[in-house]
Amino acid sequence: MSPAQSARASAHDLDLVAQAVTGSREAFGELVRRHGSAVRGLLRRMGADPALADDLAQDAFLAAFEQIADFRGEGTFQAWVKRIAARLYVKRWRRDVRLDVVAETPEAEQDPAEGQTGAAARIDLDEALKTLSPVERVCVSLCYGGGLSHAEAAQALNAPLGTVKSHVKRGLDKLRARMAPGVTPETRESAAHG
Amino acid sequence: MADRTFEMELDRQFGDHPILPDAELFAQRFAERLDRGWTFRRLLIGGLGLAGGLIGAGQVLGSGLLSRLHTISAQSDALMKAGAAQLPVARSVTALLADGSPLDGQVLWMSAGLAALAIGLFVSRAIREI
Repeated sequence: MSPAQSARASAHDLDLVAQAVTGSREAFGELVRRHGSAVRGLLRRMGADPALADDLAQDAFLAAFEQIADFRGEGTFQAWVKRIAARLYVKRWRRDVRLDVVAETPEAEQDPAEGQTGAAARIDLDEALKTLSPVERVCVSLCYGGGLSHAEAAQALNAPLGTVKSHVKRGLDKLRARMAPGVTPETRESAAHG
Repeated sequence: MADRTFEMELDRQFGDHPILPDAELFAQRFAERLDRGWTFRRLLIGGLGLAGGLIGAGQVLGSGLLSRLHTISAQSDALMKAGAAQLPVARSVTALLADGSPLDGQVLWMSAGLAALAIGLFVSRAIREI
């Protein structure tokens, strides 16, 4: 590793961003090396298959490089790129699925703890996300993984705010049931009042 | 409270990403893509500059500007020689100017050529920097 490469490897994200603003592709490459997995991971969690997640992550980093001067350093660089990637995925997703999927539709209730016993019920986030409907998965991932507010998610999805909130709530309930089966809406209710 | 705890846990899990085994390959692919885009951009700028230069040169030649410049240059040369001939002190200098001296019309063309060359070098350097 050359001295320049090792200097980049130990540099802070903000220093690398400052170098990238002046056009340093090497500095931006280091940022891609550091945060590529996180961005690809988010896209996979949102529902993209690995190949699509990689393509969109590349597009997101390319867009980030072109808009790097707009990054104000208010949040982390990773969070900023994740937001770009999440919006790109939503754009793609909206193009591929029927738009009315986003509209609120009643769903058949599914027993979240079905087929699980004891400690086996505590499964990881990736598995739990698979139990959500596509729209719930996108809404929850946008708000928790992509860092968008409900209003921003509604704008990205071109859906009413109430609908997005409803999808997020339903998705969270399902996740909670899968990941923390001891906590049910009833126990939460009693905890809130007691 | 349980809600908040769960949401914090969710935030934590969403923020917790394993490094994918092909992370280095991904970064390499991105660098190659960025380089390709950069090369394409430079070629595009160079190509547009060349096309613009050719169109400009065509317009200049087509408008008869060169012949007008030649006429003006010859007129000013004649005027200078006539003016210089009237100055007794400068007679020895005008004798030098009369026979292909460095101040005749060709000098103007040489200067213009050198200026064009300098501009060309500057533009190519600027494209390389971009």
